[in-house]
Amino acid sequence: METQTSVASTGTNRVGSAASKSYRAVPVVSGALPVLGHSIEFASNLLGLVHRGYLECGEVAGLRVFGRNIVLLSGTDAQEALFRAPDEVLSPNEAYKIMTPVFGKDVVYDASPERMSEQLGMLRPALQDKRMRTYGEIVAEETRRGVASWGERGEIDLVEFCATLTNFTSTHCLLGREFREQMSTEFAQVYYDLERGVTPAAYIHPNLPLPSMRKRDKARVRLVEMIEEIVGQRLRSGRRGEDFLQTLMDAEYKTGEKLTPHEITGMLLAAMFAGHHTSSVTTAWTLIELARTPDYLDRVLAELHRVYKPGDDVTFQSLRQIPLTEYAIKESLRLHPPLYILLRSALVDFEYRDYLLPKGTWLATSPWVSHRIPGIFPEPERFDPDRFAPGREEDKKQFSFIAFGGGRHKCLGNAFAMLQVKTIFAILLRGFEFEILHDPIVPESGLVMGPKKPFRVRYRRLLPNGQF
Amino acid sequence: MKIVIDWGLCQGHANCTGDAPDVFAVDENGKLTVLIAEPPEEMRGQVELAVRYCPTGAIRIEG
Repeated sequence: METQTSVASTGTNRVGSAASKSYRAVPVVSGALPVLGHSIEFASNLLGLVHRGYLECGEVAGLRVFGRNIVLLSGTDAQEALFRAPDEVLSPNEAYKIMTPVFGKDVVYDASPERMSEQLGMLRPALQDKRMRTYGEIVAEETRRGVASWGERGEIDLVEFCATLTNFTSTHCLLGREFREQMSTEFAQVYYDLERGVTPAAYIHPNLPLPSMRKRDKARVRLVEMIEEIVGQRLRSGRRGEDFLQTLMDAEYKTGEKLTPHEITGMLLAAMFAGHHTSSVTTAWTLIELARTPDYLDRVLAELHRVYKPGDDVTFQSLRQIPLTEYAIKESLRLHPPLYILLRSALVDFEYRDYLLPKGTWLATSPWVSHRIPGIFPEPERFDPDRFAPGREEDKKQFSFIAFGGGRHKCLGNAFAMLQVKTIFAILLRGFEFEILHDPIVPESGLVMGPKKPFRVRYRRLLPNGQF
Repeated sequence: MKIVIDWGLCQGHANCTGDAPDVFAVDENGKLTVLIAEPPEEMRGQVELAVRYCPTGAIRIEG
C-alpha cells in the first residue's frame, strides 16, 4: 500500500513538473469507425490491425477499442519502457481479470501486488536448476510413452499429438506422478471445462448465467477436491514428490501461514495455463518449420546424432550441446509467439519520449509484430534459425526477442519451456521422419496462436523403441 | 572478464548456479550473489553458458 501511494504521488509530480513540456498527440491507426473505433477489427483481425498500426505509426500507435484507448508500443526501446515499468505504474492485473474465476479469488493476478509477488516467489524452488533435471527426465519419459505405440508408418494429427503430450508432461511435472497415473482421464475433462470457461464475456462480468461459466466453476470445485485427495495421500504416507505440488505444499507466507487448497489449486492452474498450450503450439510450429526447411533440418539431425548414440539418455547437460536445435525452436517462437499480444494498464500517467499516456490507458506490445521489424530481424518472414547463431545474434539487444515477455513479469517458465521442447525434439527427430500434409498452414488464434486443427502429418519410424 | 548483473531483471531462477557453481550462488529467497566478480579466463566457458541460459537475460560479461 505504501509503495503505491508514494509512486502515485511521483506520477502526479512528474506531470506537474512537466507542465511546461508540450506532448505530442499519439498517432491513431487508420480505419477507426465512429463510436466503435477499432473494436470490430480488434476482435476479428487483431494481428492485421496491430501490424498495420506499427507500419503506419511506428513505435507508438493509438487504437480505440471498446471505449478504451490502447496504445501499441513496438521496437526495443518502447518495449523496454513497458517491461521495466514497476507494477504500480503499469499493471498486468487488469488484463488477467478474465482468469480470476479459474485461478481463484486472491490468487496471483487477483491478489495485491505484494501478495502476488510472494505467491510467485513460492514457485521459484519448483523452477530452479536442480528440479529442472528431474523435469527433463519426465519429459523424456512422456515423449517416449507418447510414441511407443506408433508403427512403422502412419498419420497423426500433429496439433492433437502435441496437446496430449504436453498435457501429460505438464500434469506430471506440476501435479505429480500419482495424479498423472491415477487421475489423467478425469483431469483432462476438468481442465477442458476450465478452458472453455475462459471467455471474453468474463470481461463484462466474471459470473454470468452461462452454461460455460457454470461448468467452469463446477470443474474448479472438483479439481480442488482431487488435489486435496493427493495432498492427503502424501501427508498420510510421508511420500514426497519432485513436483510443483510438493513445492506449494511446503511453502509458507512470511507470516508462517500455509497455502490453502484453494490457493494451491489456483497456482497450479496458473502454471498449467501458462505452460501447456504455449509449449504445445511451439512444438507443433517447430516441427512444421523444420519439415519445410529440409537443409536446416539435416543440420539439426546431424547435430542430434553427434550428441546422442542409439539408446543414450537425453540428459540436462546434453541439452546444452544442441544449439542448432535450440535456434530452430527460438526461430519458431519468433515467427509464431504463442502469446501475440501483451497488455498492461497505466495506473498513473505514463510518459514515453514525447508522449504522455494518461492514467487508465491500456498499453500493449505485440511479440508477433515486434519480431517482424526488419531493422531488428532482417527478412523477418523467413524461417532462418542461423540468425541466433554467433556472429549474427540478432536477438542480442535486450528486449528484441520477447516471446517470453520481459522485465519482472518475464515468463517464469521460460527455461522449463526450452528444456521441454528441446527434449521432445531430441527424441522425436531421431526416432521418426515427418512429412507435413498441409499447405498453406492456417494459424488459429485462441488463447494462444497455433496451427489450425486438424493438421495431418505422416511419420516413418527410423529406430525401434528404446533406441532413441 | 567482469560480470555485470542487471538487478532489475534477475528473478532468482538459479540456472547460473548450475552452469557456473563457483561464480554464482542463489539463496532460498532467490537472492543472487556473485561470488567471483572478475573470474579468471579459464572460467569463461562456464560463465558464457550461464549468460546464455539465464532465463531473464540478467547476466552480461564485460571484457
